[in-house]
Amino acid sequence: MSTPSIIKRSLGYRLAPGWSLVSLLLLVFAAVAVNSLFGKSNQIAMQYALVDLIIVVALQMFIGTSGVLSFGHVAFVAVGAWTVGLLTIDPTLKHSLLPNLFPFLYDIGSPWILAVFIGGIVGGVLALVVSPALMRLNGLQAGIATFALLGLVNQVLTYWSSIGPESGQSMVGIPDVLNVWMTMLFAMGAIVVAWLFQRTRPARLLRAAREDGTASAASGINVVTQRIITFTASGVIAGVAGGLFALTNRVVQASQLSIDLTFVTLAMLVLGGMLSLSGAVVGTLVFALVDLILVKLQAGMTIAAHTLQIPQGTRPIVLGLILVLMLIFRSKGITGGREFVWPFRKNQLPGVPVSND
Amino acid sequence: MHSSRPTWERVAVSIDSSTISAVGLHVTGLTVSYNGVPAVRGIDLAVAGGEAVGLIGPNGAGKSSSLLAIMGATARTGAVRINGRDASGLVPEKVVRLGIALVPEGRHVFADLSVKDNLRLGGVARRTKSGAQEAMDKVMDLFPILREFASRPAGLLSGGQQQQLAIGRALMSDPDVLMLDEPSLGLSPTAVDTVFEALAAVRAAGKAVLVVEQRAEFTIAFCDRTYVLHDGVITLSLKPEDAENVQILTEAYFG
Amino acid sequence: MSQFIQSLVDALSAGAVLGLAALAIGLVFGVIRLANFATGEIITGAGYALVLTWDLGWYVAIPLSILVAVILSLLMELAVFSRMRKAGPATLLIASFGVSFLLQRVYELIFGNNVRSAPVASNLSQSVEVAGIRLQLLSVTAIVLSAILLVLLQLFLTRTTLGLQLQAAAADFTTARLVGIPASRVIGLSFVLSGVLAAAVAFVLTTQSGAVGPTFGVRITVLALVGAVIGGIDKISGALAGGFLVGFASSMLETWLPQGVGNFRDAFVYVLVIVVLLLKPSGLLVRGRGAVRT
Repeated sequence: MSTPSIIKRSLGYRLAPGWSLVSLLLLVFAAVAVNSLFGKSNQIAMQYALVDLIIVVALQMFIGTSGVLSFGHVAFVAVGAWTVGLLTIDPTLKHSLLPNLFPFLYDIGSPWILAVFIGGIVGGVLALVVSPALMRLNGLQAGIATFALLGLVNQVLTYWSSIGPESGQSMVGIPDVLNVWMTMLFAMGAIVVAWLFQRTRPARLLRAAREDGTASAASGINVVTQRIITFTASGVIAGVAGGLFALTNRVVQASQLSIDLTFVTLAMLVLGGMLSLSGAVVGTLVFALVDLILVKLQAGMTIAAHTLQIPQGTRPIVLGLILVLMLIFRSKGITGGREFVWPFRKNQLPGVPVSND
Repeated sequence: MHSSRPTWERVAVSIDSSTISAVGLHVTGLTVSYNGVPAVRGIDLAVAGGEAVGLIGPNGAGKSSSLLAIMGATARTGAVRINGRDASGLVPEKVVRLGIALVPEGRHVFADLSVKDNLRLGGVARRTKSGAQEAMDKVMDLFPILREFASRPAGLLSGGQQQQLAIGRALMSDPDVLMLDEPSLGLSPTAVDTVFEALAAVRAAGKAVLVVEQRAEFTIAFCDRTYVLHDGVITLSLKPEDAENVQILTEAYFG
Repeated sequence: MSQFIQSLVDALSAGAVLGLAALAIGLVFGVIRLANFATGEIITGAGYALVLTWDLGWYVAIPLSILVAVILSLLMELAVFSRMRKAGPATLLIASFGVSFLLQRVYELIFGNNVRSAPVASNLSQSVEVAGIRLQLLSVTAIVLSAILLVLLQLFLTRTTLGLQLQAAAADFTTARLVGIPASRVIGLSFVLSGVLAAAVAFVLTTQSGAVGPTFGVRITVLALVGAVIGGIDKISGALAGGFLVGFASSMLETWLPQGVGNFRDAFVYVLVIVVLLLKPSGLLVRGRGAVRT
């Protein structure tokens, strides 16, 4: 569909790509700002939601671009969280909590912000190491292999007491340095990085391969290499999210960073729309909002002299139902896989970032 | 996007509406599109019992698509009637039960199952439950090699033998209309002869036969009428005597 | 030596049970390309049925658990999967993930987080002596039960028309429909068979542990799923073989891994899965590199 060049030269049209980024940042800011009016417990919930947002953005970066499923990103979140735990827990506390660590692990430590970025790098390194093997796979096989990766990392972190606590125990004592606004900045940073990444060559090549694998292979694109690059980049972002999780939760346990978190983040992405960055952001925020309402309803909400209450345990059921219903009736998600362009443009194709070409 | 291919002039196919309720296949205005790209653009066809009609044309003309669409395997618009009954909106396994069977391109026998089991499966869609054994005997009379290899896994048969099996499997449902998609593909000349001899017998038994083929000469000579499909449209109607006519053949393929 | 034989029998038993679970997954996958992660919740449901009705007698509890499993299985298909026919295998996997998560929470809501117990088939939880070696009766039972079910299934698939229809649909769904095999019938059939197998798995697991909780079926389903895929989920025999392999290996590892490393046996299985998928993505039992039919 060709756009007449006179429209292409108009200011509104040319602003659209930037707007597709700014609109998301504004949305996040608005969500945090409005939420901050409602009290402390909401702030904490929002902080968790922002961490989830970063994970979902990392997921979208890979799944949305390559079209390949990954059940394994939470593995990178987990190693990121582990890294921050090891780097920020007070040394004396480390000795008593984690008695069997490799000796050098007792001595290392760093300011929390550096720890977060190191966590990202560790996540990226893990992704880089496994990707030559995993990135050759497609479809169901990719899902299973990445799932095996998740299981493997989870088992290692749970039981290998030389790098963490004794079997199944937690790392506690992570300092309380993060607040919701700082987390928001990280989330915005992740969105910017993802937005920029969409416009790099590996991403463009992968999208082409996603549309037509045979043609791309014929034109000499090495899909596996591009996937490795993208997987690694998204592994870094996931690692950062893990570090932030550690700082938000203040306690890290392997069982929290496994299948359930994988499901929740995948659900958020499906809800928003897998094919677009906007989908990642929208999905997480909508999910968090619905979750918040459900928490209130479970505790009992009073509206105009009537108290509404839903039974305990309904919350995860409703969330699970939302995912399943979305997959049945609108598998493309709320955004349909499209980025935000209104009001600067109308018809946007799904799965394609906004550009001026 | 529109290439410099010539747009073919449609040739009218006359369908005698008084024969619509009789045995056979009636198709009007069949249109099939894939993702917005039209493959078949409004064709009409009629095949009566005891007739063989051929459908030829270059690759990509829409021949396979037409057959699949008649069977309900792809979305289509247009009217399809089998033995006078409307096949609109029916899924393939229900369309079969109206009395039509398709021998698909590439044969698609169930390779891990025996010849006999393949035939048995063909009988699942029979309109009268009794007579399945007799039907199998008749099929094996028509294609003796199937009787010889009855317990052999179908995947071990040669291409020609698999073709015979595929036709036999289709005949097991006792169809009034038999459609075949490129039955001669990959077959030796002897095998092709065997297949078309069998088709002659099927026609003689009063069935309606619709054959899609790449090989023009053979098909035109065999069928009572042959239509040429170009770019989703029927452009020529040929008779058996046209089989010798090189000029008409060239026109059929290159316009 | 006798310890080796004991561990061999245990491993065969674990392989048999996991093979059944993988087969339950493979039967459905063969027809509609759905790797049903929620098979675990079918197992859990059957487990709850056994545990909650065991005091009514085994002749009530066992048929009831089979019924529950089959109904759950068909419900999933009717409510969710039948509406997703056009989706690819990866999307279907996510959906089954969702159904699994959902059902686990429903079980939590209904039965609570704590386990429900009952001495299901407690007379099987003893050891017997065979040729001078002490063996777990349950292990032997599991092997025999699996063997019987496999023979019955094989007979069904090859000797009945319905079974042939299922085989044909699993091999070539489109052609099967063109030949006149009703899609809904074979799909429903695959879910029914899957439910029956899941109930058998639940029986063995419940006898082993005596207790059922909301996440009862999760671990075995994860292993069965990865096993089916590495065996070659495309073919029914592939899923069975892969599941058996993973069960067998996992059990042997459990017995023979040195102290301290024992906790990592699942980790070893995951590494095995990754290695197999790297070398042979279409599965161990599939000839050659094979077109990966996903």
